[in-house]
Amino acid sequence: MDDLIADFVAECREMLEALGGEIIAWEAQPDNRERLDNIFRFVHTVKGNCGFFDFPRLEALSHAAEDALADVRSGHRVADHALVSAVLGVIDRIGEFIEIIARGEEIPAGSDRALIAALAAPGDAAHESEAPAPVEPVQGEGDTPSTHQAQAPRTIRLSVELLDRVMSGVSDMVLARNELSRRLREAPEDVEVAGAFERLSSIIAEMRDAITQTRMQRIENLFVGLPRLVRDLSTDLGKQVMIDIDGGDVELDREMIEMIRDPLTHIIRNAVDHGIEKPADRLAKDKREIGMLRVAARQSGNQILIDIIDDGAGIDAERLVEKALQNGVINAAQRDSMTEAQKLQLIFAPGLSTAREVTSVSGRGVGMDVVRSNIEKIGGVVDVESTVGEGTCMTLRVPLTLTIMPALTVSIAGQHFAIPRTAIVEIVRANGHSVKLETVGGAGVATIRGQRMPRVTLSDLLDLPSDMADEDRTLVLLRPTGRDIYALAVDRIHDHEELVVKPAAPAVMGTGLYAGTTLADDGSPILLFDAAGLASVGGIRFDNAAAAGANDEDQQVAANDDFADMLVFHAIDGTRRAVHLALVDRIEEVEAGAVRFAAGRTRVQIGERILPLAGIADPKELDGSKLRVFRLTDGDQEIGYAFDRVVDQLKLDHEVIAADTPGEVAGVALLGDEPAELIDVHWLFADLIGAATVRSTARPRCRLPAGDPWIQHMLRPMVEAAGYEIISGSDGDAVPDLVIMSEDEEDVPAASARKLVIRARPDGSADSIYRYDRAGLMLALKNGVA
Amino acid sequence: MNQLLLIVSIAGSRVALPASAVESVIELDTLIPVPRSPAHVAGLSALRSRVLTVIDCQRALGLGVSDFSDGINEAAVVEVEGHHYALSVDAVEDVIEASSDLQPVKAAMGEGWERVARGMVETGEGPLLLVDITALIGAEAQERAVA
Repeated sequence: MDDLIADFVAECREMLEALGGEIIAWEAQPDNRERLDNIFRFVHTVKGNCGFFDFPRLEALSHAAEDALADVRSGHRVADHALVSAVLGVIDRIGEFIEIIARGEEIPAGSDRALIAALAAPGDAAHESEAPAPVEPVQGEGDTPSTHQAQAPRTIRLSVELLDRVMSGVSDMVLARNELSRRLREAPEDVEVAGAFERLSSIIAEMRDAITQTRMQRIENLFVGLPRLVRDLSTDLGKQVMIDIDGGDVELDREMIEMIRDPLTHIIRNAVDHGIEKPADRLAKDKREIGMLRVAARQSGNQILIDIIDDGAGIDAERLVEKALQNGVINAAQRDSMTEAQKLQLIFAPGLSTAREVTSVSGRGVGMDVVRSNIEKIGGVVDVESTVGEGTCMTLRVPLTLTIMPALTVSIAGQHFAIPRTAIVEIVRANGHSVKLETVGGAGVATIRGQRMPRVTLSDLLDLPSDMADEDRTLVLLRPTGRDIYALAVDRIHDHEELVVKPAAPAVMGTGLYAGTTLADDGSPILLFDAAGLASVGGIRFDNAAAAGANDEDQQVAANDDFADMLVFHAIDGTRRAVHLALVDRIEEVEAGAVRFAAGRTRVQIGERILPLAGIADPKELDGSKLRVFRLTDGDQEIGYAFDRVVDQLKLDHEVIAADTPGEVAGVALLGDEPAELIDVHWLFADLIGAATVRSTARPRCRLPAGDPWIQHMLRPMVEAAGYEIISGSDGDAVPDLVIMSEDEEDVPAASARKLVIRARPDGSADSIYRYDRAGLMLALKNGVA
Repeated sequence: MNQLLLIVSIAGSRVALPASAVESVIELDTLIPVPRSPAHVAGLSALRSRVLTVIDCQRALGLGVSDFSDGINEAAVVEVEGHHYALSVDAVEDVIEASSDLQPVKAAMGEGWERVARGMVETGEGPLLLVDITALIGAEAQERAVA
């Protein structure tokens, strides 16, 4: 209901604003038909809406005005000055009521008899004397004037520029204060001066807070137009959409509000146009006829999150991928390695639209790239989640303000830098217990409490001289919004500060490393890092490939990513070989004694696991006492590959010349100007795993219907105890060995899986088992394992 | 016609900057380097509460590197597209009035000068090269946008 009222208020305000000029012009030309029609339309709309809401005074007023104006329109009456004044009076009063409604207050009781009487036809001469009645206040006769005062809000309009000037003045003041503070510390202590200085400091702090507040605005200002937008859109498109708005009281920098207005509108247009289905389609899918669109804002730390959730058709990720392939946005190899989230991110790729037909309102995908780039321009991120058939959730994350940012100051080789605190996850000492630093092919890797992440050393990245040992540095774990975590090694951590950030000159921003500049308390400039920029310049690739394409420069890098990353190494026999980096799970150093020839092939013991080992013909060849082993993984199973040392990490950007016969080596290619043999990992797995018996480590999988409580609570523990791994129906790529289903369920075709049908009653067909036939169930499960 | 010119010397040559574009002349204090920035960006400095991007004019013209170690470098402060820059020069000499309109330079100049020259103006002290500040600041920016 509140939404509808807000909608009504917004519409009335809009019409009143437009009418402002009309009324004056009508007064000058009472016989102007067009103007009369506009005014008539307004009172008619108000009257119509009042019947729906419970606003009797408003209804009576608008009804009376409508009647009078209808008479004029039909020529029964001439618009004389008295009528014009009376209509103006009614419209003014309606405007006052609208504002009262907008404030969420009750319309005060009272009557508008005088105004309505003034509208009456001139025949009722008795009323003529009180015709120009509109000046009386809105309260019912005899009301107190308190609400009247509230109508003149004590606000003025200011340009943002002026506010910025005040802001910068306050910043100057803070700096001057800091300077003074330093001087005072050096001078002999004087209690009175110190007291005065304290007072000054607190006043300045208060001013700074206040001026920050002036830049803030409730996000409601952005949301107020949405119900109208959605209503108009859904009417145009023949859909029914209900919008639910939440969190309008969240405050945001007013400039920021303007910056997200267009992207938000665009997303909502898309949601109504392409997300929410037509009523008939919705009914056919067992959904409510009316589509729900929820817009919710909330504050989270220094960020504002705006969710736009619809319960429409969702985004078909596979169609996006197809489109992207057709348009050359991605290639087939990229497609295969994409996660579900990455596929959805394609919606932000330029020139991609899955809309089968482009409507007048929007074509989903067209312009979504602009949405993302606009949001990223202000340091924000757009996330998308979607389930086909169930709906889509877009989340805008934007920083609270463009100007003040909490930051951590760090130093490298004596120079100070700042890191936005929003990106910081954690700070750890590099020599801590739970921290392990490694180098893989020249690239830094940190393992913190078992989580492995890329590591960038800031002094290397910035070419600054720093002779600090890696172990003595401090690691700042950064998660650029919406991307993956990485560790940044800095020399020293200093302080948490609130910094007034300003954009830096283009030449400085062009490095891609910095988000802006700021002044430290002592007045010297500090560069503020861009956490995502540091990572890109530092060569860290995010899983979220689509997100890395934030700007042109990144896109060029992304284009190069077509080339696979190879780890070049020297094999035990000294040949130069290379393996796909992505397949190397980790590098282990083992004692030569851990390598044995057992059960028909060479194997290596790593911890409590025994892996088949390639790369070495005969364990007796080993001369050293230690041996390095790549642990290669296909995501499921592992094998070892012995090697001598890692040479480098390079991109495979030359053609591969295939080997004549299939085997350990797939071919040879130029890597870093020298040929290297490429390991055929697929052949290795096929050779070592395919034939072998490592299977026993993998548990058979069983798929259970997700929704059935009996199966989940009663049967599942039994199945698990029988040695199965439970997978859910949505686990697309996991192939079950056994599928358990209840009798009344649709037969789900599962390739090679055995089927176990459970029936709820003791008597039934022979191909199913009664649910409490324990012995029968156990036997069926055991057969699956064997 | 009567344009005011600020006479500065860059890499030993006397040249003119349009005085109307110059906000003030300062002595550069501390200089904070900007790692990985284009070479002609000498660093950042602060003037009151503003951050100045210091441009080494000599470097921007490809005429060698200025020495910032002694801490006394004069610079002209200008604002271009909302950003404040300090143009570090050898010396700031004087403000004089131009006695002619802008004229093309017919003689061949060095490559660096060619890029930033707007033309030649006649003054009481003889002809001077008028430097295009935007070109000076953006000097190498286009060529090596990413260091």
